[in-house]
Amino acid sequence: MKLYEYEGKLLFSKVGIKIPHGIVTEGNIDWKGKAVVKAQILEGGRGKRGLVKVTDDVNSTIQEMRKLGINKFLVEEYIPHDREVYLSMILDRDTAEPMLIASPHGGIDIESSGEVKKFIIPIERGPRGYDIIEIEKYLGVKGLFQVIQGLYKIFTEYDAELVEINPLAVTNNGVIALDSKVILEDNALYKHQDFLKEIDREYSPDSYVELDGDIGIIGNGAGLTMATMDMVKLMGGNPADFMDVGGGADRERVRYCVIKVGSNPKVKKILVNIYGGITRCDEVALGIVDAYNVIKKPIFVRLVGTNEEEGWKILKEHGINFYENPIDAVRDALR
Amino acid sequence: MLEYGTKIVAGVTPGKGGSQVYGVPVYDTVKEAMQEHEIDASIIFVPAKFAVDAIYEAIDGGIPLIVVITEHIPVLDMAKVVHYAEKKGVRIIGPNCPGIIVPGESLLGIMPSRAFRKGKIGIVSRSGTLTYEVAEILKDFGQSTVIGIGGDPIIGTKMQDIVKMFDEDKDTEEIVIIGEIGGTMEEEVAKMKKEGKISKNIVAYIAGLTAPKEKRMGHAGAVVYMGLGTYESKVNAFKEAGIKVAKTPFEIKDLIFS
Repeated sequence: MKLYEYEGKLLFSKVGIKIPHGIVTEGNIDWKGKAVVKAQILEGGRGKRGLVKVTDDVNSTIQEMRKLGINKFLVEEYIPHDREVYLSMILDRDTAEPMLIASPHGGIDIESSGEVKKFIIPIERGPRGYDIIEIEKYLGVKGLFQVIQGLYKIFTEYDAELVEINPLAVTNNGVIALDSKVILEDNALYKHQDFLKEIDREYSPDSYVELDGDIGIIGNGAGLTMATMDMVKLMGGNPADFMDVGGGADRERVRYCVIKVGSNPKVKKILVNIYGGITRCDEVALGIVDAYNVIKKPIFVRLVGTNEEEGWKILKEHGINFYENPIDAVRDALR
Repeated sequence: MLEYGTKIVAGVTPGKGGSQVYGVPVYDTVKEAMQEHEIDASIIFVPAKFAVDAIYEAIDGGIPLIVVITEHIPVLDMAKVVHYAEKKGVRIIGPNCPGIIVPGESLLGIMPSRAFRKGKIGIVSRSGTLTYEVAEILKDFGQSTVIGIGGDPIIGTKMQDIVKMFDEDKDTEEIVIIGEIGGTMEEEVAKMKKEGKISKNIVAYIAGLTAPKEKRMGHAGAVVYMGLGTYESKVNAFKEAGIKVAKTPFEIKDLIFS
């Protein structure tokens, strides 16, 4: 679950990471003088889209952004500063330990930065003074103890997947986090219900990922679903989404997934790829028929595995195309 | 698993000790089960919120091989388990995996038998159903052992470890890798091959050509952060190492033994 900038900054203040004084608002506010108005949306690249603006007239800027469809804003004091650095924390898959990533170039896309250093902070010992010294020397910045401790604390105590400060401003009054990107691990959210309540966020993890294309994709199993999307692309089509029905899917789950995918206005046709191990093909077929009666877009179903013959019979009775080989299904879907 | 011939000797479910499932006795704890039976391996289906407890229990019981089928175990919890297992010298496969199958001999997992036949291809995969798909595509050749290492970012046994084992396995002639976007295990395998540390032929398929950045594609481990583990990165690494890359799962059949 990705947090909004202001929610991430709330966590920062909880752990002692300095942030600019700011107000979250949905409309005009009483603010005199210079400020930074930041659209509170989850998509990245706000700067490039003009959704982060330094302004002398907060309310006009808010109104301008409202016209672009933004309805939540973080208005912050403008912080003059000479330098910006980058700090983030993720889990290093190789060592299975928290890893701090630092760059002396803040404010830019970290992947194109070039100058980046990684520091493993083993979970058994946490950040120590000597870690901080090493990082400070690398960045040429002092006073990072609170920030690094704070990043580590959020990462481990809130089960974060990513905690990123880009940029961290270096000022005469110490370092201040000008932006916040925090992604909490979906699988661990059940442990943090009180925090979710505090920020008034409900979250039901769903595997659905929307893309740009017009061929709706549903599969059972993440790898199989990705492979199906890839095959569609390779054969000249454009996947509209990723949707994994999950293991042992029942009629209701399949119905839900097909309707969700089919409800995307961009979707013209739907491709379902099921290899049923524990999942039963007859259950899947019933769910597809239920959904077809609702969305009425052409569906192409590759269905093999447990109870496949029963499944084919159900699809045939309702005039829905079914296939044993996914390549045939893709080919027909793209015709 | 019983139907396949796996010697399941005991089950453990707290509170269900004394009962039976398909003739297999159930115990309240691993310790109790181990007092009555010799145990070489354990397979865990415990739901995510309690799975880590079960893994620790199996590790403390000294069971040398633990297969974890469970998905959605919190990553940091798993990281701690992996370190603990390493310390105790216990091998974990998974989590979020379909298990292990040695065709014709034993199944420690949920893989459907229809896709498997005894042969010479070793398959290591991050996927579940895609593994069955590929196995079935290669059924005419047959498989020596098929291991699902799981789709999570932190797993007990990495792809490179399994590839090394296949390289040293007398029953395996060629190795097939089924990878996904995210992480750098595939790149590590490519590095090993390039450095001459793997002698057998490897054919690979990577799922996720169309996956957008920073978006999780179902599996907890199928996500690209910091530009690490993109589809291009893996395919390029493989090509540089002389590992053939199939564009679709079906193409693997054309590239194997070629």
